[in-house]
Amino acid sequence: MRLIVLLICIVMLGGCEREERQLRLDPPIASALDEVKLMPNGISGAPPEVYFALNRPYETNAYNLDQGKRLYSWFGCSTCHADGQGGIGPSFLDGWWYYGPEMVSIFASIRDGRPHGMPAFRDKMTTDEIWQLAGYIQTLGAYSAKTAAPSRNDDKQSRPAENRAPAAILFDQGPTPVHPDQGPTP
Amino acid sequence: MTESVIGPDTRDAELERPLVDAALENTWATASGFWSALATVDHKIIGRRYILTAFAFLALGGVLAILMRLQLARPEARLIGPDRYNQIFTMHGANMMFLFAVPVMEAMAVYLVPLMVGTRNIAFPRLNAFSYWIYLAGGLLLWVSFVLDMGPDVGWFAYVPLSGPQYGAGKRADIWAQMITFTELSALAVAVEIVVTVFKQRAPGMTLDRIPLFVWSMLVTAFLVILAMPSIMVASTSLILDRLVGTHFFNPAEGGDVLLWQHLFWFFGHPEVYIIFLPAVGMVSTLIVTFARRPVFGYLALVMALIATGILSFGLWVHHMFVTGLPRLGESFFTASSMAIAIPAGVQIFCWIATLWDGKPVWKTPLLFVIGFIFTFVIGGLSGVMVASVPFDAQVHDTYFVVAHFHYVLIGGSVFPLIGGIYYWFPKITGRMMSEPVGHWVFGLIFIGFNLTFFPMHILGLQGMPRRIYTYQPDMPWHGLNLFVSASAAVLAAGFLLFFIDALRSARAGLPAGANPWDAPTLEWATSSPPPSFNFARIPVVYGAYPLWEQREALSVADGLRVDRRELVVTSLVAAEPEARESSPRNSIWPLWAAITTTVMLIWSIFSPWAVVWGSIPVAIALIGWFWPKRVPEDEA
Repeated sequence: MRLIVLLICIVMLGGCEREERQLRLDPPIASALDEVKLMPNGISGAPPEVYFALNRPYETNAYNLDQGKRLYSWFGCSTCHADGQGGIGPSFLDGWWYYGPEMVSIFASIRDGRPHGMPAFRDKMTTDEIWQLAGYIQTLGAYSAKTAAPSRNDDKQSRPAENRAPAAILFDQGPTPVHPDQGPTP
Repeated sequence: MTESVIGPDTRDAELERPLVDAALENTWATASGFWSALATVDHKIIGRRYILTAFAFLALGGVLAILMRLQLARPEARLIGPDRYNQIFTMHGANMMFLFAVPVMEAMAVYLVPLMVGTRNIAFPRLNAFSYWIYLAGGLLLWVSFVLDMGPDVGWFAYVPLSGPQYGAGKRADIWAQMITFTELSALAVAVEIVVTVFKQRAPGMTLDRIPLFVWSMLVTAFLVILAMPSIMVASTSLILDRLVGTHFFNPAEGGDVLLWQHLFWFFGHPEVYIIFLPAVGMVSTLIVTFARRPVFGYLALVMALIATGILSFGLWVHHMFVTGLPRLGESFFTASSMAIAIPAGVQIFCWIATLWDGKPVWKTPLLFVIGFIFTFVIGGLSGVMVASVPFDAQVHDTYFVVAHFHYVLIGGSVFPLIGGIYYWFPKITGRMMSEPVGHWVFGLIFIGFNLTFFPMHILGLQGMPRRIYTYQPDMPWHGLNLFVSASAAVLAAGFLLFFIDALRSARAGLPAGANPWDAPTLEWATSSPPPSFNFARIPVVYGAYPLWEQREALSVADGLRVDRRELVVTSLVAAEPEARESSPRNSIWPLWAAITTTVMLIWSIFSPWAVVWGSIPVAIALIGWFWPKRVPEDEA
């Protein structure tokens, strides 16, 4: 009986956070979310404390991931990255992360831009929008499907939907790695 | 029990009456205890559970309605946010349609149809048990998700693309879709049981023209369920497939069709209205006969009207889609067919009025609700004829006018007769009467509260207030009427509260009712209140449509059934001539296990398509247990 109650509690907690819709962030939380501590080379680092206090909402919350997908088209990401398979910009589906697959790295790439053409979006998007987009992009390249991931678009199908884990299917060892220190992420 | 007297193949004709009762009780009764309660297949116990559960969902849905009225009472209210409001109005609609209205009507049928046709249990009683557990699981799925902030938020008809993969974030729309699968599964099961019960288990002599009108209405309803529900199950399954595995049923870019959803939904959704309405019509016909103290005027016309409504109901669905840009000719056709439904409805209304006119009406609470029904349903029908016309519908589509219209039809046309029916059959189900003075108060509060709540919504709709808005600005001309509507909703809620209180009190402390407190003519009143587990000690034999009025001294009965096993009479389809003695299944826990494993599979399949593969293994095991051979010949089973 106690086990059942415990299970129900776990399901309830999981359910609450997976589907909760935070339509507008409190300003103090939003500014705290901006305080990512990056390594000196701009790759990897630590997200702010508040990110963990909120229980990593931008990786597990279905609404945030879905908003991220919408931002992906609204802010023209597909101009360079296409549907995630890449074009002028790198692909998200081939298993390769030039700056690592961590949320902070993706967040920093969007906020601050990267060399060779990735523009900075810090003045164009709010902090939580950048987080939402970062979460979606990480989902795109995930090796196993997330149940919270968005599904296909009402559009021509060019790759499996995010919740079918296209990266795992389309994983591409690629030609020689760009940098000998970087292999395919685990 | 005198075991020595009861051997194998003992017939009721060989025994004295008290011994027959004792032997039948021994054969049919559900033992007390937790596991027996879970394993029972008695249609009365399952019917009671069904009714109670459905009314619990009615109360929950009513709470949601009150929350919405609180939020809308004044402009720019901050009580409920937009996201919660979306969930609340979706839950209110889905809950009332799928968890209350359809199941409660089937629940009444599960309880009453076997009694009214004079048999001992419903056909396929284990399927009946299974259908209740599935219904309960579907209801819990919806409400638990709502509590978890995962409630569906896409409207009760979940139009794509809003509910589709691109715009319906998370699992909210999937939960709606899978709840549909649960409730439709249970509804289909009950429908099959009712058809077989009515066709093959009627008391000897109950020819087609002697079937009680409520049974006729449930028979037509059951056929509507069988023909309409598969459409929505196909639709909801396609939606889940689109969302989970990325099929393209509703994706125009890949050759799918968005409008396909609306067609599939309303091909079910419009007959659904009659699935709710026809049983209520049957209740009205039953109640009017008893309280007008005369046989119904125009039995044949009423039955034909039921069947005509049932057939026409499949030719109307497009009138929900007039603003989707369909061809003009199609729209004109569906306008005509929508207006044609007024003909059988009118025939019924005039038959009831004629019955009352020529009878000597006894103004008890059930009859008051019937009068309330006729009044509100006519208003709802008239606004229905209005919205059946395309130009008018284009103006008021998605406004409060439509909200007013369908509440008039659904509450006026269905809930009023149902409450009247509860007052009427409550003594049969519990053995106790509900309070007559309180009943008058309940009727007054509900009738006045209902009209004051929903009539102004017509005006709000004509003033342009859209449906499904969570708030409105102060400079809109709607706030006065909205405040009035919210205040009236409190009166309506008070009426329902009083009804629930009276029902709970009367179930324990009401005046004892005899077998037939209303001097009603149909067979369910021929047995004690509440009925014994075997319903009838000897199967009645019927010579007219109103057996209890025609044979006042003693009812004719048939004997020759075995008392040492569950046995009932199978009769022919048209003339109800006895054909065979048929065994009726014993209690079994397997329907519950089958329901649990089905539930696991269905909920799991929201999250992974592989659930259909792996989840079907436990379902198969449960079904094997259910149908395990009992090593007795078919005739002896």
